Amino acid sequence: MTATAERVTTATLVTRVRDRARSAPDGVAMREKDLGIWQEVTWAEYWDRIQVVGHALLALGVEPGDRVAVHSENRREWLYTDLGTVAVRAMTVGLYPTNPAPEVAYLLSHSGAKVLLAEDQEQVDKVLAVLDQLPDLQKIVYVEPRGIRHRYTDPRLMSWPEFLALGEQHRGAEPDAVTERMAQAGPDDVVTLVYTSGTTGPPKGAMLTATNVEFVVSTLIHGGGFTSPPPNEHDVTLSYLPLCHIAERIFTTWFSAAAGIQVHFAESIETVQINLREVQPTVLFGVPRIWEKVLAGAKIRIASASWLKRSTSRFWLGVADGIGRTLVRTGGRHTAGTRLRYALGWLFCYRSLRDRMGMRKVRYAASGAAPIAPEVLQFFMGIGVPMHEVYGMTENSAVATANRPGRVRLGTVGEPHPGTELRIDEATGEILTRHPGVFAGYWHDQDATARAVDKEGWLHTGDVGEWVDGTHVKITDRMKDIIITAGGKNIAPSEIENALKASPFIKEAVVLGDRRKYLTALIGIELDTVGHWAQARKIAYTTYRDLSEKREVLALVQTTIDEVNERFASVEQIKKFRMLPKELDHEDGELTATQKVKRAELSRMFGDLVESMYR
Amino acid sequence: MSAERSGPAGPAGPAGLVEAPILVFRDVHLSFSGVAAIDGVSFEVGPSELFAIIGPNGAGKTSIFNVLSGVYKPQQGGVRFKGVDLIGKRPHKIAELGVARTFQNIELFANLTVVDNLMLGRHHHNTYGVLAGFAWLGRARNRELANRAAVEEIIDFLELEQWRRYPVGLLPYGVQKRVELGRALAMQPSLLLLDEPVAGMNLEETEDMARFILDVRDELGIPIIMVEHDMGLVMDLADRIMVVDFGRPIRTGTPREVADDPDVIRAYLGEEHKTAGTGSAR
Repeated sequence: MTATAERVTTATLVTRVRDRARSAPDGVAMREKDLGIWQEVTWAEYWDRIQVVGHALLALGVEPGDRVAVHSENRREWLYTDLGTVAVRAMTVGLYPTNPAPEVAYLLSHSGAKVLLAEDQEQVDKVLAVLDQLPDLQKIVYVEPRGIRHRYTDPRLMSWPEFLALGEQHRGAEPDAVTERMAQAGPDDVVTLVYTSGTTGPPKGAMLTATNVEFVVSTLIHGGGFTSPPPNEHDVTLSYLPLCHIAERIFTTWFSAAAGIQVHFAESIETVQINLREVQPTVLFGVPRIWEKVLAGAKIRIASASWLKRSTSRFWLGVADGIGRTLVRTGGRHTAGTRLRYALGWLFCYRSLRDRMGMRKVRYAASGAAPIAPEVLQFFMGIGVPMHEVYGMTENSAVATANRPGRVRLGTVGEPHPGTELRIDEATGEILTRHPGVFAGYWHDQDATARAVDKEGWLHTGDVGEWVDGTHVKITDRMKDIIITAGGKNIAPSEIENALKASPFIKEAVVLGDRRKYLTALIGIELDTVGHWAQARKIAYTTYRDLSEKREVLALVQTTIDEVNERFASVEQIKKFRMLPKELDHEDGELTATQKVKRAELSRMFGDLVESMYR
Repeated sequence: MSAERSGPAGPAGPAGLVEAPILVFRDVHLSFSGVAAIDGVSFEVGPSELFAIIGPNGAGKTSIFNVLSGVYKPQQGGVRFKGVDLIGKRPHKIAELGVARTFQNIELFANLTVVDNLMLGRHHHNTYGVLAGFAWLGRARNRELANRAAVEEIIDFLELEQWRRYPVGLLPYGVQKRVELGRALAMQPSLLLLDEPVAGMNLEETEDMARFILDVRDELGIPIIMVEHDMGLVMDLADRIMVVDFGRPIRTGTPREVADDPDVIRAYLGEEHKTAGTGSAR
């Protein structure tokens, strides 16, 4: 992070936005809904805001290498602050909107953030509660004044308009200050700290540099590593997953700056479905949980439709299933037969179904960040949503493998990107990657960095995998999650769990059995769908727990488990299961911010439940 | 960012002395064939005050609201709102003066969407004629667009975005209550009457509603008179409280004063608890 004297001639995210503002000042960079109407932000406005934020940060004394934190849902101000921070050579630190106060304290104190952008009263309250642990924090800028103005008096608080006014004032006094700071930017500048969720131990802050970002831009965006043809200014996307996660940051901020894709912000997490329908994105990224939910929603809607609609939908979904199976065989390339069947199905079913899901115009859809059941992907392929599973992690800037259009292999995460090295350790089966996207290390944690990247520059991903046909990579599981049964058999729980979660009724499935005689599972139901199912059968229930423990629901879960068991070898079958008494939650410490189950925590919290299955 | 609000006591003094009150309710008597529903009640509400009326069932709380909104006409006494005498005015005239209310039982159009229900709240802001409305010309069009924009502000304020297009009858109870508050706000009132805003709500819905009530007062600057049974809520939110029993006012003051008053404890808990209760009026 030393200040390099040499001038960078290559582009950065910020210079790319600047160049777009010059070549297409009135082009649409992003849209956000204000009072029910989608309001446009042009490239000229975007670039202007970035500069004003940069000036404001300079006015607050932000030096190269300082940290600026953002604790907000996805919105325009997130991007302004992110790139304004990069423009003055500081680092952006994103926090999950769901992070509770103790985690906010950890992330802000560990990163030593100097300035925090807090979205609203909720996030301001969290930071105010832990302020005594944050000696480095000098300013808290809030976007939504509601509940804060007139009530809060902490001198560190500053409203967004005040922040911008400060920037304007600084720009008036020193008009070239931001430009000069930008010109000093070097390839080793750390542009962001991405805190990884950490299913074990506290989160670690991965440092991503300007070089890492450029590698992502050249490989994933301009190189068409994900989409083909590469994304461009005619593409439309919806930004709804947390921006502090590497995947959404790439698909929103970096796709926008590097390819000019039009970003739309969802009004809130509850309105994602409605916003998808309005926006009809052409490029769409989702985590497995999202795709599973869309699938479950479609199934439930069909089940509760009138007889005629139900039967036609069932018929055409059967056809879609056939198309999906063929596409799986051909790697995603259509045959004459699938084209004909799809054309008919499009008339009667798929067009309106996709329209309702908000996926009518999707030309590229991707699933990543966690493993997904193949049947979920196959469903989307069948109804004509070109679905691709991709793989990467924060530490390699999300560059590892992807299924390319026309070369999809279901159940794998695809082929390594050009320009990357990927090998699988023969002894341990661990996947290793090496390329210019490998991160610069964990912030203030050299031991962890040394464990992650070896002397030859290989990143140890912690994922166990194998080659399929010598071209595609199949991920078995996280190394530390592999179950070794008392009989000495190695079992990858995630494959079984995902097969269970593909059922519309099951939201959480945690397979256990390390050093035990047989496998068991903790199951959490999907409250919406099971509730709906129970209502249709006139089963009365009160709470989540009450519903979970109904005799009929237990039987329903047992049926699903039996179906899944049939597909696995005898040692991989689940012999017993118990229902989780509550919905798992980030705030209660059962899930990470990315909604991944903390196994160790869960086994501890529900220890009695687990033991009862081995008695 | 001035800190004008120093504590929960609000702008009013301890004994109910209000500077330039927006509403004056003076010595009102209302009886139905000899049965007294309101028996000499007086109070004043300040221009940014959250005033609560509590009391046992049948104490006359809702009757006070009905007098305020013009449903009942008291036999004696005066009610002045911003200097205008309300006695004898028809309910829609009082609404036009800027007094909006919500009801104990939800009174919305169940088959209309959230947006349509809120648009109805804008009705008395329509100043165009029937013909202009048919032709969708000039003033009618402009007025309706302004109405729709005002409704969107309320949707944003009460966080109703995800339900905009849903018929109200299909929504959860707590959300319906919120829509009802929204409809009252759509009238852009200068005084809001809330009749049991959290009745029947679960804890989470109650907390949400409490936040919205405070925001209405603090962000929109609308004074509120609230009738409520949930003592915890009243104690937390209200600047001043008036306790009524059998149509008569027992005590008016800050939450602290009211909770410590022996007469109030007696009215709520009965004679034998007279010495037992100290802080809690629950």
